[in-house]
Amino acid sequence: MNEKGANIDLLFRNGLKDYEVLPPPGVWDGIQPAVKAKSRPVILLRVAAVVTVLVTLSLLTYRWSRELSDTNAGTEMAFNIPASDPLVFNPIESHEFSPSEKSNPVKTYSDILTEKAEPVSIQPEIRSSSFSEQILYVEGASKLSITNRESVRGPRLTSLNTPGSTQTKVKYADLQYFQENYVTKPKNRWSIAAMASPTYYSSFNSGSNELSKELSSSEQSIISYSGGLAFAYKISKRFSIQSGLYYSSLGQRVDGINSFSGFKPYDITKGDHNFEVLTTTGTVYTNNPDVFLSANGSDRILTAYTNDVFDPNKASLQPVNNSLSQNFSYLELPVVLKYKIVDKTIGINLIGGLSYNLLVSNSVSTTVDGNRYSIGTTHGLNPLTLSSSLGMGMEYNLSGKLSLNLEPTFRYYLNPFSPTTGSYVHPYSFGIFSGVSYKF
Amino acid sequence: MSEIKKIIKGCLAGNRRDQELLYRRHASKLYAVCLQYSGNDEEARDILQEGFIKIFENLDNYKHEGSFEGWMRRITVNTALEKFRSRHNLYRVDDIDMIQEPDPEPDNQDYAGLEANDLIEIIRELPTKYRMVFNLYAIEGYSHKEISKMVNISEGTSKSNLSRARVILQRRVGSYTGIKKKVANE
Repeated sequence: MNEKGANIDLLFRNGLKDYEVLPPPGVWDGIQPAVKAKSRPVILLRVAAVVTVLVTLSLLTYRWSRELSDTNAGTEMAFNIPASDPLVFNPIESHEFSPSEKSNPVKTYSDILTEKAEPVSIQPEIRSSSFSEQILYVEGASKLSITNRESVRGPRLTSLNTPGSTQTKVKYADLQYFQENYVTKPKNRWSIAAMASPTYYSSFNSGSNELSKELSSSEQSIISYSGGLAFAYKISKRFSIQSGLYYSSLGQRVDGINSFSGFKPYDITKGDHNFEVLTTTGTVYTNNPDVFLSANGSDRILTAYTNDVFDPNKASLQPVNNSLSQNFSYLELPVVLKYKIVDKTIGINLIGGLSYNLLVSNSVSTTVDGNRYSIGTTHGLNPLTLSSSLGMGMEYNLSGKLSLNLEPTFRYYLNPFSPTTGSYVHPYSFGIFSGVSYKF
Repeated sequence: MSEIKKIIKGCLAGNRRDQELLYRRHASKLYAVCLQYSGNDEEARDILQEGFIKIFENLDNYKHEGSFEGWMRRITVNTALEKFRSRHNLYRVDDIDMIQEPDPEPDNQDYAGLEANDLIEIIRELPTKYRMVFNLYAIEGYSHKEISKMVNISEGTSKSNLSRARVILQRRVGSYTGIKKKVANE
């Protein structure tokens, strides 16, 4: 039986030996997500770890700054202290304080601030003692004393209620500090700034892969720009937290890709795109049926119209250019922590934080005689990227409320623009932001 | 290091460019295999997709011994077989194939003029179980013993299916050749 069927077996075996059929478009799109999923957890874990560390650091810093602020203030009100046992701070120098009425109820610090006798009104009530020292006097507060927080618990507390005395005596160590920290602190905590910057964009290529290196070597950064509005809130004297909304446009030039026009009459495929160009930021899919692309001696263009199938010169296609431009636009939401190193007329801030970047547009084009010739789009871009930023801000105070800002900022993208690129190519950008800020 | 080794290394490192390059270079050949084992284009597309996912998942098991293309082809064929088994596990293939088929006619026909496209068309017209056995035996070179384990049938059924497949193919090829000659003469 085998011998009888051997001829038909051979017919099929030999006839199908080197048979090839181009698969329908879109199969790779179904494979790609399943393959990339393998490396995704690592990237997610890295991003999660970085976010956790930054958030933790921010919270610790905020907490620390609050504590530091409280401790440095050195003075605060001690509330609800019985009249019979008023507590006073017991420094070497002591000051006496005499309220005009002893029968008034106990008032909290916030009460004092919101009443008619607000902090500002405290100042005129300050009397000079017989020792020519400053004494704090708050009208209508019979059981009020100003003391160090530690002194409430510590052994240095002393009762000034001497027998027969109807006055509550309060000691105050440093009135000036009190005024700075409690009277003037609430002013100008918010600020709004309009900033813009030219941006230099490039990427780190840490992989040893030959193809990645080849792709990187043919890509050149295009000077881009970024700008937007930022809001800042002053947490303490040194720290402030900043957010806002920025629009940024990034781009790069891909050299060595020859483009031709007039291909439409020769386009016989039914696929949605004829050419795919590999770049470090993703794969460019052509959406212009009139364009033909070729790259001499390189594997970076994937197409059914290879050199042995179609020759653009024989078909007399019109050469357009030998490079492509990739452009990406992002809406950025930064969350930044600023630490003021120098707080003078020219202030210097250290700036660090994270930014969520939402991809709003991407296009690929080339130029012919100064006109833009559309090629297609970059496929597989991550719609949401996370970047970290570090910068040094300089602030020149024009007045109490208005200042000029200059912020050289380095930004590193924690996840690549293209989610399937792996961990090899990480974009970064450098910009010098300048603008005006207004405090309120 | 050869180019394919570099590409495999890149794929193992999760580099998308290399993964895509590997796909582009071998998809056409493997899709032809998928067409050969499937009854329609949609099924072929599914086999190609699942097969490539398995190739990427098992790439670290490839020891660079033997042909890489052969290794990928085996994975693709196994994927097609898995699909076949999952669709035919509700009933025993043996039970419906025990009809004794006549031996094929002496094969001395002239098959000139048949192209690969025609052969694929003809082979895809076979009932699935015959197509599987014929492909595994005549194209891949497996024995009936191996096929019986792969397709979950007895050796006798494998032989019977092969015999019936050959009969059908001879007739179809004959009619195809006749039609082609007639068209050529006209």
